[in-house]
Parts: sequence; C-alpha cells; structure tokens
Amino acid sequence: MQPLIVVENLVKRYNGRGPVGRPGVVHALHRVTFSIAPGKTLALVGESGSGKTTTALCLACLERPTSGRILLEGRDIAALQEKELHAVRPQIQLVFQDPATSLNPRFTVLEILTEPLLFQRKARRSEAAELAYALMERVGLPAEIARRRSGELSGGQRQRLAIARALILSPKLLILDEALSALDCSVQAQIVNLLIDLQLSLGLTYLFITHDLAMAAHLGDEIAVLDRGRIVDRGAPEMVLRKPEKEATKLLVQSAPLSTGIQPLRRVS
Amino acid sequence: MTARRNLFKWIAALVALHGVIACAGFFAPDDPLAQDREHPFAPPVKLHFRDAQRHLHARPFFHPFRKSASALDPYVEDAARSIPLRFFIAGAPYKLLGLVPSRVHLFGTDGEPLYLLGTDGYGRDQLTRILYGGQISLLAGWLGAGIALSFGLLIGATAGYCGGWGDEILMRVAELFLALPWLYLLLALRAFLPLSVSPLGAFLMIVAVVGTLGWARPARLVRGVVLSAKERDYVRAARGFGASDAYLLWRHILPETSGVLLTQAAILIPQYVLAEMTLSFLGLGVPEPAASWGNLLGNLQQYDVLVSYWWMYLPALAIVPFFLAYLGLASALQECMNTVGAQHWRGQE
Amino acid sequence: MTRFLLSRMTHAVLLLFGVSLLTFLFTALAPGDYFEEMRLDPRIGPETVSALRTRFGLDRPLAVRYASWLKSVVRGDLGYSFSYNSPAGPLLWARARSTLLLTFTATLLTWGLALPLGIWSAERLGKIPDTLISWAMAALLVIPDLVIALGLLLLAVRSGWFPTGGMASVNADALTAGQRIGDLGRHLILPVAVLVFVALPVVVRHVRAAMIGVLDAPFLRVARGHGIRRHRLLYRYALPAAANPLISLFGLSIGALISGSLIVEITMSWPGIGPFMVEAILARDIYVVLGGVLLSTCFLIAGNFCADLILYWADPRIRAGSEEK
Repeated sequence: MQPLIVVENLVKRYNGRGPVGRPGVVHALHRVTFSIAPGKTLALVGESGSGKTTTALCLACLERPTSGRILLEGRDIAALQEKELHAVRPQIQLVFQDPATSLNPRFTVLEILTEPLLFQRKARRSEAAELAYALMERVGLPAEIARRRSGELSGGQRQRLAIARALILSPKLLILDEALSALDCSVQAQIVNLLIDLQLSLGLTYLFITHDLAMAAHLGDEIAVLDRGRIVDRGAPEMVLRKPEKEATKLLVQSAPLSTGIQPLRRVS
Repeated sequence: MTARRNLFKWIAALVALHGVIACAGFFAPDDPLAQDREHPFAPPVKLHFRDAQRHLHARPFFHPFRKSASALDPYVEDAARSIPLRFFIAGAPYKLLGLVPSRVHLFGTDGEPLYLLGTDGYGRDQLTRILYGGQISLLAGWLGAGIALSFGLLIGATAGYCGGWGDEILMRVAELFLALPWLYLLLALRAFLPLSVSPLGAFLMIVAVVGTLGWARPARLVRGVVLSAKERDYVRAARGFGASDAYLLWRHILPETSGVLLTQAAILIPQYVLAEMTLSFLGLGVPEPAASWGNLLGNLQQYDVLVSYWWMYLPALAIVPFFLAYLGLASALQECMNTVGAQHWRGQE
Repeated sequence: MTRFLLSRMTHAVLLLFGVSLLTFLFTALAPGDYFEEMRLDPRIGPETVSALRTRFGLDRPLAVRYASWLKSVVRGDLGYSFSYNSPAGPLLWARARSTLLLTFTATLLTWGLALPLGIWSAERLGKIPDTLISWAMAALLVIPDLVIALGLLLLAVRSGWFPTGGMASVNADALTAGQRIGDLGRHLILPVAVLVFVALPVVVRHVRAAMIGVLDAPFLRVARGHGIRRHRLLYRYALPAAANPLISLFGLSIGALISGSLIVEITMSWPGIGPFMVEAILARDIYVVLGGVLLSTCFLIAGNFCADLILYWADPRIRAGSEEK
C-alpha cells in the first residue's frame, strides 16, 4: 500500500543561538527520512531539543524546510507556494502540547470549532455549528459547554477541544506534538483511548510525537528515534525497545520508569 | 472579582462626571458668553437656609449684591432683598448635547443674576464657564488621546508583526519622539501655526499636534503585545488551516492589545487635558471668548486678579475629581489585566 | 567597557542629530519667520525686511541652513538670537543656570524625602503610616502641576509668608553677599516646593513598590536572623537589591532637569530657561529654540547615560553580563 506521507531527507537549518549561547546556525534536522502508511501510527521519540517539534511544524507546513521533500500521497508539499498550499492544509492538522496556549482563551468552544470551517468556506454558519456539535459529541465534550470560553475549561476538556478542532476539517494526517504531556495521568488515559477510537472509526493516520516511551509503545505501530536532528533507529516497538541497539535508544529506555512495563498493545486493525 | 467591581466603580464615577460636563447647559445656570458689565469680578453669593428672623426655609435663597462705595469691598449683600433659588427653571436657551434645543436649567433665578462661583472681568458667570470649559478641555483630551493611540496602534502593530528592518526603523523613530522635549515642541508647533485663528481651529490644531507627538509610548507597548501574541500556539493553529496575516491580526492578535490601549487611554486623556490647559493658560490654546479650563486659569496671570479675586482660582479644582477618577481607572485596569492574564496562562485544572 | 561607551556615544550623537533635524523641520516648515512681525509694520519697507532676511541667511534653502547650523554647532556656536541681537549660546546658558539651581535643589530634596518615606511605608505595609502616606501621595498625584503652582502662589499672596515670585528681591543690589544668599533661598522655597510636590508621589510609589518586592526576600530574613540592626538592614541590604528600577527613575529625573520646570518658572516668574524658550518660540527666534531643544535633549541623554553607568557600577550582574559579551 502506498504510504500516506513520505518524508525524504528533510533538512532544517536556521539562524539562532547555538548550544553554547553564541549566535550561529542551528541544524535542527539533518536528512530526516521516514514514511507512514495510511491508518497507521508512527511514534517519534526523542529527548527535548532533538528536533521533534521542528519535524511537526515542517510537516504541518508551518515552517519551510531548508531542503528535502515531503510527499503527501505522492505530491511534494514542501515545494508548494502558499496559494496551492491552501487546499492542502486541511489534510494535515496539528495538535499542540499545551492546550492552555493552543486555544484562544477569549473564544468560545463553538467559535474555536467553527472558525476553520468558516475561514476555509467549507460550510455556512448553521451547517458549521451542526458539524461542531457533532464533533463535540464525538470527542466526548458535553454540548452545554459550547458557549463557554476555552479559558474556563479544564485541561482534559481543552485537549479534547484541540483534537476536535484538528478534526473539523477532516484531515488525513494528525500530528500530535506531545499532546498528552501536559495532562494528568488519568486524563491521559482517557485521551489515549479517544485517539485510538478515532483512528479506528475515521481511518486517521497519526504522527505521535512524545518523549514518553510507554505511550509510544502503546500507540505506535512503528517507532522512530530522533537524536539531535537525526533518525537513529526505526522499527516495530518490540524490536526497538526490547533490544535497543543504538546508544540514543538505550539511553531512552534506561531512563524510562521501571513501572511502565513496555508491552505494546496488539490492536486489531 | 473585586478588581472588576473596583473597575466598575471608577467607570461609573467617570460616566457621572462626564455626564455633568456633557449636559453643561442643563447644570449651568447661565449662558457662558453672556456678559454682565454691571458686575465685573463679583464674588460668589452666599446661599442661606436661615433668614434674619432665624426662620428655616426649605428653599435656599441669597441676597443679591449691590454696589458699595468702598474700594476694598465693592460688593455688599443687600439684606433687604432675598431671592429664592428655583429648580428646573426656564433660562437661557442652549442645545443639550449639541442637538436638542432646550431652556430648562437645573437651578436658577427668575431674571436676577446668580453667581454661585463669582464672575470674571466681563461679568460672566464662572460656574457656567467652568462647566462649558470642561467640554472643550475634556474633548481635547479625548481626541488627542484618540489620535495618539490610533497612530500608536497602527505603528506598533506593524512593527511587531512584520519585524525585521521595518521594526528596527520604526522603533528608532519612536525612541526619537520619546526623546523630544514634548512641551517645548508642543509650544513650538502651536506657536508656529497661525496665531490668530478661530476657537475651533485652535482646538483642532492643539488636538492634532498633541496626538501626533504622543504615539511613541503606546506604539512600543502595542508592539510588545503583538510580538508575544504572534508566537502563541493558537496563532500557529490558525495558520494551520490557512489563515492569512490580515485575518490573524484582526481576529487573534489585535484583540490582545485592548488591555494595553485602555490603560494607556486612562493615562493619556488626563495628560492631554493638562496639555490643553497649559497651552491655553499660556495664551496659545483656545482663545476668548470660548471658555476652557486653561484659559479660565489664564486670568490668574494678571497680578491683581491673583491677589484680589480668590474665586478665579476655582477652575483649578474642577479638574481634580477627573484626574482622580482617571487615575483610579488606570489602577483598576492594571489590576484587572494582571488577574486576567494570570488566569489565562496558569490554566485551570 | 570601552565598547559600551563607544556604542552609547554613537547612539547619543545619532539621537541628537535626529532630534535637532526633527525640530528644525518643525520650526522651519511653518509659514513665516522672525521678521514676519516686521512686515506688518508700515514704517519698515519690504526691501529692508528682505535685506535683513538675507543678512541672517533665512532665505537660503532648508538643507543649506540646517547644514550650516550643524557645522557651527560642532564648533560650539549655537547660532544667533534675533530678539536679543547676540549669540544664542551664552543667553541660553545663563538662563539654564537659574533653571538648574531650581531643579537640582528640587531633585535632591525629592529623593532625599522619597527614599525614607518609601522605605518607611514599605516597612509598615498595610498599617496606618503606610495608608496615610499612600493617600497623601495619591492626593498629590492627582493634582496637576499647574494647579499646585497656582495654589502655592495663592498661598504666598494671601499669607505674605513667601515672596510671590522672581528670583531676587527688588532691593537685592543693596544687600550683602550673605543676605543675598538668604534672599535667594527665600525665593527658592515656593518653586522648589511645587517641583517636589509634583515629583514626590511618583518617586515614593516606585521606592515603596521596589522595597515591598525585596522586603520579604529570604536573604533579608537570614540577615535579620544574624542580628543585623534595622537601619543597616534597610539601607545596606534591602535598598541595593531594590535599586535597579530606582536608578532608572533617577536617570529620568536627571533627564528632566532642564525641561521639567517650565510651568513652575512661568507661574512663579522664575527667570529660567522655560520662560525664555516660550518667549523665543512666540517670537520665532529659531536658533534659540533649536539651542534650547538641543540642551534639553542633551540632559535627557546624560540622564539615561548616568543611570546606565550607576547600574553598571552598582549591580555586579550587569557587570558580569557585559563582560561575558
């Protein structure tokens, strides 16, 4: 089956402060290559600073890579101009780490959900509201909170809202950039189940970025390890984590809490 | 929520104060331009409730002045006549809020001159002129602040959003404007425009000049807000569904500047009212016969007025409650912004 | 350190250049000039007026006039005053001295009062002295400088305790040197009082706020535990930690030494640079105006510069930070 998304030799350099604080060029990503099959989940793990968020931003077309190709269903979206990109954007959506800053606290839930639809002119106001309510139910948000401002919601509710917003344009690829890290454990479990549920019912493809190995093993069909801008390891979760070969992977595994038995859940596809 | 309640208290106070000034025609007993050459520099009348026979009257009354021969005390109460104060009485015609013609005044007398705060050299009632003068001074403050904030918003948002060279240049220019001794330049700009001009012309010139000099500080503050807002994740998310720069600015970034703009307004309005007062006091502002708080105080530049006629000082006190209310508003706004900001970014679990 | 000084110098020069250019444009672009008044006088023929204009170079194009003014400023010559028929520089400087006497005294007094008041207020946070001081400062803050000046003038007139304006009594020449100083002092009281009343609330508020931030810091509690006496504790431990924003404020105080007393000088007839500038502005005496603006900006720059220097000397973190660069 043709992969949904293929990243080839992605390079991202920008001017900033180097590791020692002196101004210079930062090599955020160095020839990153991976692919994800439709309906599958690729878990991207790595320490902070390894380039995970940069990868997410490049894939979501919020940053332009310095070089490399990003093929969405065979089409290179890294080379597109802004106008052509407009039609592509709904197909790749991003869920951010901190729901407190990724949702405008002054907007109501309904406004946040209908905004993408109205802007992309995919629906009229009444239709947009209907779609929004339907999605709210789908992600487990009660309909009463539709008129509340996002700043008044709890963390779990906000992240559900962020996921709903990401889904409102019916994307094919959902990038979750540490989307669970800011949540309590119990809430995390609920959201994970929601994500699995959505993937099965909507046929979504996930790029799940995390530093949490247990989560990566739980959700990922495949794991890729990112170290200082390079993919150093890749494979099925059991292989990569039970028998770590590369140094970076070994370090990650060693620092994972012992209580998390790394047992990837076998899911029915 | 006491910050909110505080805020509403101050807003209510300001609305009340401005309401009185806006309806100056109603609250003032007389016409601001009406001269009474018979009574130049008449002192304020004393209101009594108790008459010579120690009887209490429900309605306050006063004894009108008659001229006395003495040079030291040219006005003496004429105890033989007592004139009661009437309320909601028809008097000099005026237009309420500049639109609705009316003749009803809150209080006044039937024909007899009433000078609660005394008169000036032309026999014009000072209370009336203070109320009408407030209209001009406050309007100058509001318009000047409006212009300065509009420029500040435009330039600050452009600099903050575009960044790069444009930002550098605009901020250097702002620094330049902040370094200018603005009072000197205000005077210079005003003086170098035609000196003899109609009151409306002078007023508009002051407003324009003050506004054009004062954009720098608001621009810097707006730029700061825009810089931090454009990096927020929700702005990125909006870009993620293809939002254009204009849309982002309009819906997500500029609303963040409202707090800063409101606080600056509460600080700038009294400053610009004072600027108008200073200019008019020096004779470079609103000219006669129009009244403004500044040119009313300008009378005090004459030594004999300063020495002999203490009631000419009263316009100075008129501005104090306004300054107090604006200061209170600015503090309350700051507090509100601090609490709201903390709530947003701490998140609620 | 030298790089810091160098960059500040260039910055200052550029700022002065920009300010003078802006002022020049403001004043030169307005219609008419000093000799405009003369045109209205029927006895003076238009040829005389244009001859005067040419003599003083007022008919040359703007850029040329600005360039030649710049050249002379660099040499130290601030131009010519039309009203007084003499070089502008010495005139300005003479008046500036009177202003500086006034503002310098006022600034010293303001800070001398504000520091103890603010510290005392912060110490007794929430108690009666603090509430009283806060209310008093709020009351002063709310009354504009014009009103305070006129009010004190009224007081002087009514009570006769203070002279009602000017810098010296009418019979000053007849007094001895010592008496003259006393006379000057008596005349200084009211104008200085106005300036202090205007500036005090702002400084006290800042001192109080800065001290409140520092007073419950752990390092201070440790010092108190060591038994260090209150006075030393406040002035040698707490104040230096709170000093940074206050030093910047002090820089602003210095910056306003020339331009901050305009209203006071006019209402109290103090012969400083303020009334002189107003007169020059009204008479379109352009080089005096330019010189005055330049002088005022110099003080502003000097104020910021002093503040930066003091910060550098007083705060080791800033020293270390810049050395790392």
